[in-house]
Amino acid sequence: MGSSQSMSEEVRELVSKTGFSSDQIEQLHRRFKQLSGNQLTIRTRRTQLTWMATRQSSWAFNHSSLQTDMFTSKENFNNIPDLELNPIRSKIIRAFFDNRNLRKAPNGLADEINFEDFLTIMSYFRPIETNMDEEQLEHCRKEKLRFLFHMYDSDSDGRITLEEYRNVVEELLSGNPHIEKESARSIADGAMMEAASVCVGQMQPDQVYEGITFDDFLKIWQGIDIETKMHVRFLNMETIALCH
Amino acid sequence: MFLLLPFNSLIVNLLGISLTVLFTLLLVFIIVPAIFGVSFGIRKLYMKTLLKIFAWATLRMERGAKEKNHQLYKPYTNGIIAKDPTSLEEEIKEIRKSGSNKALDTPEFELSDIFYFCRKGMETIMDDEVTKRFSAEELESWNLLSRTNYNFQYISLRLTILWGLGVLIRYCFLLPLRIALAFTGVSLLVVGTTMVGYLPNGRFKEFMSKHVHLMCYRICVRALTAIITYHDRENRPRNGGICVANHTSPIDVIILASDGYYAMVGQIHGGLMGVIQRAMVKACPHVWFERSEVKDRHLVAERLTEHVQDKSKLPILIFPEGTCINNTSVMMFKKGSFEIGATVYPVAIKYDPQFGDAFWNSSKYGMVTYLLRMMTSWAIVCSVWYLPPMTREANEDAVHFANRVKSAIARQGGLVDLLWDGGLKREKVKDTFKEEQQKLYSKMIVGNHEDRSRS
Repeated sequence: MGSSQSMSEEVRELVSKTGFSSDQIEQLHRRFKQLSGNQLTIRTRRTQLTWMATRQSSWAFNHSSLQTDMFTSKENFNNIPDLELNPIRSKIIRAFFDNRNLRKAPNGLADEINFEDFLTIMSYFRPIETNMDEEQLEHCRKEKLRFLFHMYDSDSDGRITLEEYRNVVEELLSGNPHIEKESARSIADGAMMEAASVCVGQMQPDQVYEGITFDDFLKIWQGIDIETKMHVRFLNMETIALCH
Repeated sequence: MFLLLPFNSLIVNLLGISLTVLFTLLLVFIIVPAIFGVSFGIRKLYMKTLLKIFAWATLRMERGAKEKNHQLYKPYTNGIIAKDPTSLEEEIKEIRKSGSNKALDTPEFELSDIFYFCRKGMETIMDDEVTKRFSAEELESWNLLSRTNYNFQYISLRLTILWGLGVLIRYCFLLPLRIALAFTGVSLLVVGTTMVGYLPNGRFKEFMSKHVHLMCYRICVRALTAIITYHDRENRPRNGGICVANHTSPIDVIILASDGYYAMVGQIHGGLMGVIQRAMVKACPHVWFERSEVKDRHLVAERLTEHVQDKSKLPILIFPEGTCINNTSVMMFKKGSFEIGATVYPVAIKYDPQFGDAFWNSSKYGMVTYLLRMMTSWAIVCSVWYLPPMTREANEDAVHFANRVKSAIARQGGLVDLLWDGGLKREKVKDTFKEEQQKLYSKMIVGNHEDRSRS
């Protein structure tokens, strides 16, 4: 009674910020409540180790959190059974708390996210509208690719190093117990060399390839219409009576 | 003695007397039919009246909304997003094709492979099949209970008065009546079965036990104002069989047991439940397990088999889902009860949510809160279908048989048939499920990688 007035202002703000429609926002809000257990935020619970690590440099923080976060943090996303089947589950969950995706800081992880942050992350997967012009399309594409880049680049240094690349490949292949670490490594190394050849061209024998920067990343994805594929389509809502 | 009382307490006395008379009459009108298993049709009349009122209320809201230009009809979805049905292989091939100019027959790891899993992960975070089964179903029309409609808005004075009246009736009239009935029912059950327990074993004892049980369950049914329609009663479970049904709330037991005489299976609790359980088992053999015995699946199976093989014993009532589901779907049936080898009598129970939501969300409400909610709803309306008996075929294993029974129940009740385990409400996915998708992907990469290195 009367609460809908103030809600629509917030909703309007969110609509302009994230680009979702007000109905979609309401649906996502209900989903957010489900995931957070009716709390205002979704959080990660960390061990003593990572908490201490946040006091140190961001490099150390990210490294230790990589080890302990993935295995000991109990998160609200654990309640989704379908997500368990996904090999890069921990990377996806991490992406939700990544400060770069939340546009809050150039590195680090947030402890908890509220509904607005949730929507910000979701907006990376918004479908493209047909009325976008060239510039908007380009911007959209860049944002989506940046999201994927952040998934690879876990230490936020702006480059995907060999180590990080190997990490992703190992995780993707982690479900199969028959693949040894060695073969996963060699696959990653091979793929990395290919990527290097695309970006830098022929390398001198003593040249060290430092890693894939974001521009190189963009080059690799050239030609792939990621913006038309990287979205989650909302169902067409049929109107049936729901008393308001 | 009247002269000794002051004037204003005369009014109070009259009020008290009239209330007592009213209550006694009502109890007589309700308990006596329960004992004999007849019905005056009062509840059906009540249901029809309520429906008329709901229809009127909805009309008023439509009119009111049009006047004020509110949006009354809200988009309704059964899920938020459209999930892509393409498989892992197809999608990855498609992405690679559109990207590199290399030949398609040299698959190896590509930077873009991460994309498929990323998107799938996002989709499940936005909406997944399982989690939404564990929250109560949202209604499409308003039934004058503000608990089923989260956005109650002021539409008109008449409607608010109606709602207020509804609250008054439900909490001040129906609730005390129902509590009184429930109390009567439960105490009669305990006292009756204990007394029957003292009788010598024989046909008279069985007869009395059956009727005491039925009478008390019928009183409890009236205590909840449950309006039940039974279909296909000729398929009712017989001795030596197992009755399986889908589980929505603890009330399921009362609903089924008021129409048939069953042996219950379960864990012994403490407190009031324990008292009831111990009394019941004196009159006829139910199968109660100690807490420690519940974990031992072998022991459980043994005792059930023993019970089932004795043809003089009653059919067992089991809920194979293991937990309460919100009555929009049927989840995985645990295979334990299907391994025993007895005839299975499936039963489908479907509640009509318009009169009151019967789903017990045990993480949200405790038992007492739940019962109070039930007793302050308008009514519990449900349909029960007795399906024809099924037996396990010669070359069928228990899991397959369980799924067959589950599909039959889902089809009859109009529920969605899911493969997921109801235990996921509390536990995590088993590792065996996790590995499949990952194996498929790694086969794609590594299998081909081996081919390449060989050539």
